[in-house]
This record gives sequence, C-alpha cells and structure tokens, in this order.
Amino acid sequence: MALLELGGVTSGYGAMQILWGIDLDVGAGETVLLLGANSAGKTTLLRTIIGLLPCWSGSIAFEGEALQTLPPDQRIRRGIAFMSELGVFPTLSIEENIRLGGYFLSDAQVRKRGALLFDLFPDLAKKRRDLAASLSGGQRKMLGIAKVLVSEPKLLLMDEPSSGLAPVFVKQVIEVLKTTIGHGTSLLIAEQNVAFLALADRGFLIDGGRVKLSGTRAELEASDAVREAYFGL
Amino acid sequence: MVGLLEYAVIGGILYGLFFSLIGIGLNLIFGVMRIINLAHGQFIMLGGFGAYLLSRDLGLNPLFGIPLAIAGAIVIGYPLYYAVVPRLQKSHDPEMLSFILFFGIAQIIEALAVFGFGADQRSLPGDALGAGNLGVLGQEFPDSWWVAVLVSVLAIGGLYGYFARTKLGYATRAIMADRDEARATGINVDRVSAIAFVMGLALAGAAGVFVPYLLGSVSPDIGTGLTTTSFAIIIIGSLGNPLGTVVGGLVFGLGTMLMQTFYASWSNLVPYVLLVVIVLIRPSGLLGKAVRHA
Repeated sequence: MALLELGGVTSGYGAMQILWGIDLDVGAGETVLLLGANSAGKTTLLRTIIGLLPCWSGSIAFEGEALQTLPPDQRIRRGIAFMSELGVFPTLSIEENIRLGGYFLSDAQVRKRGALLFDLFPDLAKKRRDLAASLSGGQRKMLGIAKVLVSEPKLLLMDEPSSGLAPVFVKQVIEVLKTTIGHGTSLLIAEQNVAFLALADRGFLIDGGRVKLSGTRAELEASDAVREAYFGL
Repeated sequence: MVGLLEYAVIGGILYGLFFSLIGIGLNLIFGVMRIINLAHGQFIMLGGFGAYLLSRDLGLNPLFGIPLAIAGAIVIGYPLYYAVVPRLQKSHDPEMLSFILFFGIAQIIEALAVFGFGADQRSLPGDALGAGNLGVLGQEFPDSWWVAVLVSVLAIGGLYGYFARTKLGYATRAIMADRDEARATGINVDRVSAIAFVMGLALAGAAGVFVPYLLGSVSPDIGTGLTTTSFAIIIIGSLGNPLGTVVGGLVFGLGTMLMQTFYASWSNLVPYVLLVVIVLIRPSGLLGKAVRHA
C-alpha cells in the first residue's frame, strides 16, 4: 500500500479549475519529484493534499485513510508536513518558528527535537533569538526545512525549495534533503529545477493540471519531453 | 505655566494608557482576523453598563465588572465568532464586508441597550474606586484614574506575555503573519482566532468598566464615538499590531490632555487631526513597517 495515494483529484481556486484528475502515489521512504513549469498546477496539488484548497472530486488517501474531508491540522497530525515557498513566519524568531513546527507536540518533545535540529543547522542555532526576517534566503530555506522536520513527518511536501535561491544555496538544500531522506521521511517535492531529479526515486511531469508523464528517475531522464523542456536537449 | 504643562503631560500619559486599553481589543481582532469590529465601542459600552448595574443593583465594587466582562465576552464572543467570522473570511473582501456587518451588529447592540437600560447617561459614585487623589511630581489625579491605568498596564502586559511566552500566543502571531502558512503548520486557525476574538471583546468590556470614571458617564450612544477614537488610536500606532496601540494611545492621550489644558474647545479634534496627519505622513502607523492592507 502506498503511503500517499491520489485518485482522480480535481481542484482549483474559486470557480477556476486547475487540476484535472491527478493520479499519483508516494511509497514509504520514497522521494518523488513533481516536475513542472510555472502555473503547471504543482502548488495547487500540494495545497490540495495538505487541505489548504478543497478537493473537488477524487480521493486523497494517507496510509489508507481518506483525507479529503479533514482540515489541514488533522492531516498534519497524521504525519504529513508542508513546506511552502515562504516556509517560515518572518515576524517570529527562529526559535519560535521551530516551536510552531511542532505545534501539536509537547514542550519536552519540541525541546528535544529542536536541540537535534540546531545541531544539524548550527547557523540557525547561533541566531535562535533573531527574527526569521533577518535571515538570508538560503538560511530561511534551512529554517523552513528545520521547521517542518520538528514533527518528524512520515511524508514531507515541499513547494519549490529552490525558489529564489542562488545555485550555491540550492546545492545546500539538496544536501540537507539527502540527510532527511536518510531518516526515512518520504518526500514529494514540487520543483521546476531539474537538479532535484538527482534526489528522486520517481517523478511525475505535470502540465496544465494533468500528469503528462510518470516513471523512475532513469525513465524521466531518458524521456524526450523532460530532456527538451528541462535539459535543453 | 510649567505646572500646567506637567499636569497635561502626566495626565496625558495616564489618559493615553487607559485609551490603549480602549483600542487594543479592536487592533487584536483586526490583526488576527483582518476584520474591523465596528461594534467595538458598543462592547465597551456594555462593559460600562455591567459595572454600573453591579454597583447600583448589587452594591458590588465596579471592578467586579472586569470578570463579568470576561464572562460576557466568552458567552457572546464564541457564538458570534463562529456565526460571522469564518463566513466573512470566505468572501472576496472580508474587511469591507466586516465594516457593513459589524455596523449592523453595533446598531442592534445600541438599540437593545436603549431598550434595556434607557437612553439616559449613567454615572457611578466617584469614591467606589477610591475617594482621594494620588500625586506624582506634584500633580494630583483621582484614585480612579490610577486604578484604570493599573488595570490597563496589567491587561496590556498580560497580552504581551500571552504573545511572547505561550504556545497559543506564538500561534496567534503566526496567524497575524500569514494565515495560510499558519494552517499549513498545523495550527487550528479558527480555534486560535476565536480565542483572540473573545479576548478582544473582553478587553473592550474591561475598558468599559472605567468609562464612567474617565469619561464621566456611560450611555447607550457612546459606542460609535469610542469606536471612532479606538480606530484613530490603532491607526496612529499601527493597524494590525496590537502592541502598537500603546503608542497610539499615548500620542492620543498626550495630544488630548495638552489641548484640553491649553485650548480646551479644540480638544475634540485631536484624534481626527492626528489620524489625518499620520495617514498622510506615515500610512503604516508610528510602529508599522509595511504598508497595511486596509
């Protein structure tokens, strides 16, 4: 049984339909890349999975349980975390952001996990009382990752982790994500940066709110559609 | 002349701290929910009448009006929040719609208050909060002013502690920063917002307890003026930043007392002139950094 399974999901904003029957699955411990250009529907799909947008039709199942009628906080309690493009609360301190990442955990659990994360991100530890707004773009991404890892999610949804970052920071993000994968967390990463394909076990190419192609990393790398659109070949 | 100036400045600070309490509930509700509670002044008025009734009918100290205001805010606030606010936030323009809707609620409360309490002005015995005066730097002010200031400082300090030290406070600030990001973090936004809404009403009701002392009397029709003054104060401080209300309150208090002392007939213009000047010079308020959305 897949950890996350979507069947025929449709969704959108207001009356505007963006997703047109998405079928997708993520297995336990797997890293899946959702590859697509701007406005392909990647963010809409992640926001629908976490519950920020309603699922108009179709099914979203997590560990076999239907999620589509649950509010976001209930989905998160079941072991899903979502890192948006912004990813942090700029007007809160680094420590407060970490605290909120484990909102439904006890103080003791958050302290313990926060200490481990500060070991993993020493730059953040040094500035723990500073506002998140004072961090650079790369540091904010790191804080965003640390924030979602506090709850030790089974599945982490990431929306454009490379957005707004210089290549050097994109490399850092990828390195951190490799560590995350090592801890057994499944990842569903929405990206238009094809460099993230190197992390993925499988991928879905999404365009116009529909899945155009899916397959293993090797299959996607060999695909003409991906090569033309993302490798410029 | 120097004595008068000292009196105006010290009185302005005391008056301003009290008016911070008057406005802070409105700013809390706007900051968290991005809606404008135009019935804010009517909830202050209800707090004033609560204190009046407790004192007149039960012979209790008017300060018992504060727990009554908290209880009233819980009883009225939760159902009102769930009946109104989630629907408003699904609309395309919650701020404008909240203006209209809460204007209607304000009129209903005022009409019910006239029906229940009569249209007359009511005042409380001046000695209920202390019969004497307390001086600082040679300037004396009634005990009731000092009690009002003490309660205001405790309430504002309590709100600061809530924001800075509690998990619910972090969650409230997270919602103020970004509602969707807060949802995506696992915060039950409706629950936390409902608590903030009730707190906003409770703060308004608690401020109302002192209205008969600092403004002379309470009557059903004072709500609209208090909402306008509160609105001016929070815009001067920083709309959406509850603690900015303190700055707005102090500026308003000092401005009003200086005008009352030296140009009494012009003092009613103070909140509006300050409002216009601040909006023109610094639209985000004295403590605001970003341009606000309203």
